[in-house]
Amino acid sequence: MTVTDETIVLRTFADAKDAYRAKDLRQSLYDEGEVVMDGVLVNLHGDEHRNRRRVENRMFRRDVFDQYERALFPAVTERTVAPHLAAGKVDLVQLGHELMLNLAALTAGIDRPKGTAEETARLGEYNAKFIQGATLAHSTGDKDAQRVVIAQALDDWDAEFLAPSVERRRELLDREAAGEDVDVPRDVLATLLRHRDELDLDDAVIRREVAFFLLAGAHTSATAFVRAIDHILGWLERHPEDAAAVREDALFMQRCVHETVRLNPSSPTGRRRALAPVTLRSGVHIPQGATVVIDLQVLNRDPELFGPDAAEFNPNRTPPPGVAPFGLSFGAGVHVCIGQDLAAGVVARPGTDPDTHLYGLVTGAVQHMFGVGVRRDPDDPPQRDAATARPYWGTYPVLLGE
Amino acid sequence: MAYRISVDHDACMSSGKCVADAPELFRFDDDEIAEPVPGAPAPSDGRIVDLARNCPSGALVVTDAETGDEVDVG
Repeated sequence: MTVTDETIVLRTFADAKDAYRAKDLRQSLYDEGEVVMDGVLVNLHGDEHRNRRRVENRMFRRDVFDQYERALFPAVTERTVAPHLAAGKVDLVQLGHELMLNLAALTAGIDRPKGTAEETARLGEYNAKFIQGATLAHSTGDKDAQRVVIAQALDDWDAEFLAPSVERRRELLDREAAGEDVDVPRDVLATLLRHRDELDLDDAVIRREVAFFLLAGAHTSATAFVRAIDHILGWLERHPEDAAAVREDALFMQRCVHETVRLNPSSPTGRRRALAPVTLRSGVHIPQGATVVIDLQVLNRDPELFGPDAAEFNPNRTPPPGVAPFGLSFGAGVHVCIGQDLAAGVVARPGTDPDTHLYGLVTGAVQHMFGVGVRRDPDDPPQRDAATARPYWGTYPVLLGE
Repeated sequence: MAYRISVDHDACMSSGKCVADAPELFRFDDDEIAEPVPGAPAPSDGRIVDLARNCPSGALVVTDAETGDEVDVG
């Protein structure tokens, strides 16, 4: 047996899909981000992963998303955008994080009893630290110093937000167990507390798991929100005939979001570590101990799958059967993004009923922005974020209203 | 060629995609693991392939009805 530390880069769609489904390739994207990611769902492997995912999947099914998308999120979106609409302008990066944090707090199970802007801003500051923790591998700063700050943020956030949220749910669960008819929130925290003995979860894991759902729900959707608006504004400059579609045709808007996600996966690479030798169907051999890097930026732009303009934004493209319009940006196999349908909805097919279709919360939020006249600020151009090697926007000023 | 589809109980991670996509074919058991609906009509081969491809855990197993061999749906 040979154990190696070599790195194998996969750049074809078929190899990547195969690797994502290989049981002996373990998640390793977050190896440097353990301060937040140790023991969280996406870092588990084998039976431990399957058992936790079985429990958590109950909250990430389409019937729950349907509730969120139709009953809960439109009002939150309108309420979050309203003050900025009144001001006539906003930074899309800040708005994206504010909006998606409001939505992610609901799904993660973090209460904000005061309901004030200051309280939400503090939660946002903590969440920004958690995001730094999860993406530490791509940080351009002093990683050890960042780890200390992030660990302190977890402690402070626990005392201010998590502990009271736990207490409220524990009391409700106790009353439910005693036979009382109570409404226990349908969120990640309540679910973990309900199943903590079965899953052998300690307080530290619950803390990181809830922080992870908060950061993942808010951050990935927030970046997709800004990028989608950027792509669509560019598309409309070249295709003004689609101006009505972005406001009125939710299926068109969903295709725009899927195309955005294809071109801009949340992480530009996937990473796996081989626990045993693996041979992919193509014949690519991965020795035990090797690191596998899945180059999503390249394979999601494969001209053979997505056409000669694969590197361009084109919401009218049709990928071949078996290939999702967002490529492999959500991953595949058992670690496929648990929030995929929540964020991006279900892929429409011929005959899809627009009235019952799930479009995803990013689609709804982006469409809302075009409904309030979002456009670039000619006096204040957008800037990239220099603090990370990931291609994020640092600021994206826009004007709103007529 | 006629395909059959079944659920690998151990592999299923309760994503619920098969139950949402094909409620006439799949439902949850008491542990919220997917199981076939008894007496459900046989779906077309194309539908079977779509459902199996959409299962993130690979728990939907496709077999050749004639030989019983497992079919790789890619």
